[in-house]
Parts: sequence; structure tokens; C-alpha cells
Amino acid sequence: MIDRKTQTKSQSRRLLAPSWAVDLWTLAVPLGAVYLFTVVGSSLSGSARVDLGYALVNLIVVVGLWVFVGNSGVLSFGHIAFVAVGGWTMSLLTLDPTIKNNVLPALFPSVQDASASPVVALILGALVGGVLAFFSGLVLMKLNGLEAGIATFALLQVVVQVLTYWDKVGPKSGQSMVGIPTSFDLPAVMTIAMVVIVVAWLYGHSTSARLLRASRDDMSAAPASGINVFRHRVIAFAVSGALAGVGGALWAQTNRVVQASQFNLDFTFLTIAMLVIGGMLSLWGAVVGTMVISTLNHFLGILEGGLDLGEVTVSIPSGSRLIVLGLSLILILILRPGGITNGREAVWPFQRKLDFLSQAHTSAVTPPTAVSTGANRAR
Amino acid sequence: MIPLLQSLVDAVSAGAIYALAALGIGLVFGIMRLANLAHGEIITGSAYTLIFLWQFSWPLALVASAVVGIGIALVMNFAVFHWLRAQSPATLLIASFGLSILFQRLYDAAFGTNVRTAPVGNGLSQSIEMGGIRINLLSVITIVLGVVLLMSVHLFLTRTSLGLQVKAASADSRMARILGIRSGLVIAVTFAISGLLAAAVAFALTTQSGAVGPTFGVQVTLFGLVGAVLGGLSKLSGSVVGGFAVGVVLSLFTSWLPPWANDFRTALVYVFVIIALVFTPNGLLAGRSKKDRT
Repeated sequence: MIDRKTQTKSQSRRLLAPSWAVDLWTLAVPLGAVYLFTVVGSSLSGSARVDLGYALVNLIVVVGLWVFVGNSGVLSFGHIAFVAVGGWTMSLLTLDPTIKNNVLPALFPSVQDASASPVVALILGALVGGVLAFFSGLVLMKLNGLEAGIATFALLQVVVQVLTYWDKVGPKSGQSMVGIPTSFDLPAVMTIAMVVIVVAWLYGHSTSARLLRASRDDMSAAPASGINVFRHRVIAFAVSGALAGVGGALWAQTNRVVQASQFNLDFTFLTIAMLVIGGMLSLWGAVVGTMVISTLNHFLGILEGGLDLGEVTVSIPSGSRLIVLGLSLILILILRPGGITNGREAVWPFQRKLDFLSQAHTSAVTPPTAVSTGANRAR
Repeated sequence: MIPLLQSLVDAVSAGAIYALAALGIGLVFGIMRLANLAHGEIITGSAYTLIFLWQFSWPLALVASAVVGIGIALVMNFAVFHWLRAQSPATLLIASFGLSILFQRLYDAAFGTNVRTAPVGNGLSQSIEMGGIRINLLSVITIVLGVVLLMSVHLFLTRTSLGLQVKAASADSRMARILGIRSGLVIAVTFAISGLLAAAVAFALTTQSGAVGPTFGVQVTLFGLVGAVLGGLSKLSGSVVGGFAVGVVLSLFTSWLPPWANDFRTALVYVFVIIALVFTPNGLLAGRSKKDRT
């Protein structure tokens, strides 16, 4: 008996990584991928750098969306509402005061006078997104399934209408805020995106997220085991809304023109498609989906502008990006419903075949709780 | 009194349009748990057909728009949803969202971003005098069209063999398959009916506006879907009543809200939708039966 134990112990030391390494791997891979993506993208061309800025912003929004959709299994069509309020906060706080007076004459005096440094505005954007998500979540999270999807969509419509027409908090109906300063350069945006990924990863490892995933996998067993699904959904919704708010704030300073009608179904579709194509059940899927679709969109954009290949110029009609995106979404749903990553986190590349064995062995020597953190998550 | 009656007629006519949209969505949902967001693009396709062909011959335009509506619905079924039948309702919803955006861009590429205009059903836009009040002929025709179509769908579902099969498959599709109902045929028939209903909605809307753009059908589909969910997608009557209610409320809001609040009328409708959903998550008219969750 003792003989076998020591043997497996030495074997595991030789072949298998400790569970925390496998675990951290699921964070390190997305971070490394985002870093490489940014480095390669910014070395390509000027237009690539512009698209890269939007790609990183979309990445933040999609990761925020994953925090809720991926963990709860409930679809949300409303996250662009939190992006919108995040962008609004950023714009109102960082606009040049003279422009603000000219473009937004009817603002509340307190809003008119308010201004903040970009970092503070970013944090406030996250806060506003999170608070809105928390309070709307208190109502919306009572719902399940399709009703929840419709209700989140209704929330988006309400927020967009209010931002469009209420000139006390924005421009006159349907007009736009222009001249928002670009305060964060590409490396800064990349760093923020990485921080967002870390936050999402940490959230994914929290007790609340684990309980929520249990309810996602079995909606009748989880409440029966004493899990308060409503509470954990609200937490996820609030965290996810705050991250989407960060995305919105950065979107505003990247786009520099903000109008309520931009937070529309196309934007919603883009982010949902990125998440679904990557694989909506994993953080890695959110990152992969955003990078793949952003890259694809960049090259389609080049083709839309016309590409010189010696004698012939290849060009495709504008609007092709969304056509290709729609087609790829449908194809992926038919051929690989789990998305590119099939809903898995980044897999520990060494000794994968022994994972099952390692589970059996480590459970013999360590308490069972330690097991589920490692091998299970990596699979 | 007169403007009140007038606006009531308008409201009922708007309600009829949304009820038809909700019925088209509710039929398909009942049979395969698909909340078809791309229903609006069937409407848009039919509407383009009407706009382009009306000037040549109106009977041809009507027939062609019905054929186009049914055709697009069947193409959607066989090209996309047929392959997704085993998937969850959430997956189907996302797929239909993708299909909707895809079709919008295709219309955009084919017919341009700007609206195409043509007078459709010019003679219908006049008013008639009835007992001292002027009533828009178009509203009356829309109401009649809505009632006739609702009745025919009802008769089809209750009096014909195929209709009963559709109803059976909608109530319990697995059991229906076990009992020998050809689900492929039934689903195709359901999609065809929803395409026909979409064509009717397209007719009513184009006679009102006379202009069609790539996102023509989005608004009515969203409100139709919202109404259907509100009324209860588990029962067809629930969908119809919910769609009707949303149409009536929207129309009444448009004519009676004070100007400062009028901008926010859709926001108000959506706030009501959220409240109603929270209090009756299965729909206002749904029975006790639980429907499966996504």
C-alpha cells in the first residue's frame, strides 16, 4: 500500500503540474493572447491600429457579457445599455467645457459643471454601469429563459430612448456629442482590457460564480440544493454591467463621437456573435471569439475599401462585414454549437491524457476540495 | 368624442397588425421553440415585392408578395432552422438574430440603404363618413384583413387534418412524432403560414407608409414578439391578444400622450412590458402549464 502511494506521488511530481498551475494557465493564456494580438496588430498599419482600438474595446464588452451570460446561461440582449451609460459618463465628464456648453445647452447645472480626469471618469463609468445593472437586475433577474432575454432587450430600449430624448443628461433629441478627447492610448487600453480579463477570471473563481454555474447546468437541482439563484444572478449581472460600463467609457473615447442611436441592435449583435462564435461558456471563448471576428472584420474592411492585386482591384460591397458575421454565426451554430473553444477554458498543454489519472491520484492524497479547482476547470 | 372614436379605430387597426405579426411568431414558436427574430425580414421581403410590382398590376403584386413571404420563410426553415432542431431555444434565438441581421444587410446591398417609395393601395387612404365621424378606410380594411386571417388560421388549425397535426405537434412535438405525425412537413407548413401572415403585415404597413427600407420589418417584429411573450407564447390566443394589446397601447400613446412625453412612448411601453413580465412570467393569458425554460 505504502509502496504504491509513494510511487504515484513521485509519478505525479514528475508528470503532472499542480492544480494551481493548471488553473493559472486558464488566465495566462488569454492574457498572453491579448498581448500578442495587440503587439502584432499595432505593428501592421495605421488602419489596423484604429481597428485594434475598437477590437480591444469590444473585447472588454464581450468579456463583461460573458461574466453574466457564460456563468448564468441566461441570454442578455441588454448589455449595450450598460455600454451606453458608461460611454455617456465618460463623454459628459471629459468633454471640453466650451464644447459642452455649445452642444449640450440644456444639461442639469450639476452635470454641466461636472468634469473629471479620464481615470476617474472611467471608474465612474464602471460604477454607473454596475449600479444600473444591479438595480435593473433586482427586477429582471426574477425571470428565466426567453422572458429574461425579452426583458433585458426592453431595458436596452428604455435606456436608449431616455438617452436619446432627455436633453437634461445629453444632447438634443437624436444629436451626438462630438469631440470627446482620446485619453487612453493603445497600450493603456490593452492594460485595461487585461485588468478586465483578470477581474472576470477572479469572478469566475468565486463561490458565487460556481453556484451560478451549477444553476446554469441544472435549473431544478440548484435551487433544490439551497442555492439562491436570484442573488447570484444579480451579483453576476452587476459585475458584468460594471465591466460593460468600462467598455462603454473606452468606446466613447475611441470613437470620439457618441450618439444614443449607436447603441443599437447591430452593436448588440456584434458582441453576442463574438461571444457565441468563440464559445459562450468560457472566458477563453469570449477572448478567442472577439479576436477572430475582429481580425476577420479588419481584413474584410480592407477588401471593402478595394485591394490592389497587381492589375486587378478586388473589392466587395460595403456591409459585407455583417453579412459574413451573420453567416459565420449561423454556420458555427449548425456545425459547432459550442463555439470555437467548445466552451472550454485554455487547456493545460502538458500531459493532458493523464488528467483523469491525476484526478484519481490527487484525490487519494489531498482533500477532495482541492481537486475540483484544478483538473475540472482545465477540462 | 369624435377624436376619441377616431383614435380608437386607429388603435384597433394598429392592434390588428401587431396581432398578425405576433400570431406568425407564436405559431413558429409553438412548433419548435423558436422565437423568430428574422420574421421581420420576411415582412421586409414581401414589402419590397409590393413596392416594386404595384405599379404594374396590383393583383400580381399581392400574389407575388404572398409567394415571396412564403418562399423566404421556407428558405429560412430549410437552410437554417432545419439543421438546428435539436438545439436549445436560446441557440435558435441567437441563430434567428444572426439571420435577421444577415437579411437586413442583403436587402441593403440589393436595394440600397435609402427607402424605396411607391404608392401602394392609393385608393385605400381616403376617409369615409360614417354616422357623422370620418373613418380612415385603410384602418377598416386592416381590421377586416386581420379578423379574416385570424379566423382562417383558427379554422385551419381546428378543422383540417394538417391543421390538427400542427396543433398536436405544437402541444407536444415529441409525442406527436411518436404518433406518426410527419414533423418535417408540419414545420414547413407552419413556416409557410407565418410567411403568409408576414405578407399580410407587409401589405397593411406599405399601404400606410408607401416606403420600404432594409429595416422595415424590425419594429413591428420586435413589438409583435414582445406582445407574444407578454400574452404568453405557450398559447396561440395569448400571443394574438398580447400583440393586439401592444399595438393598441402604442397607438393610443401616440395620439394621447402630451408632447413632452410622446418621445418616450416606446420606453413607456417597454417599462410596462418589464413590469408585466415580472408579475406574470408565463404571459398574461398563459394557463397553469409550465413551459420549458431556456
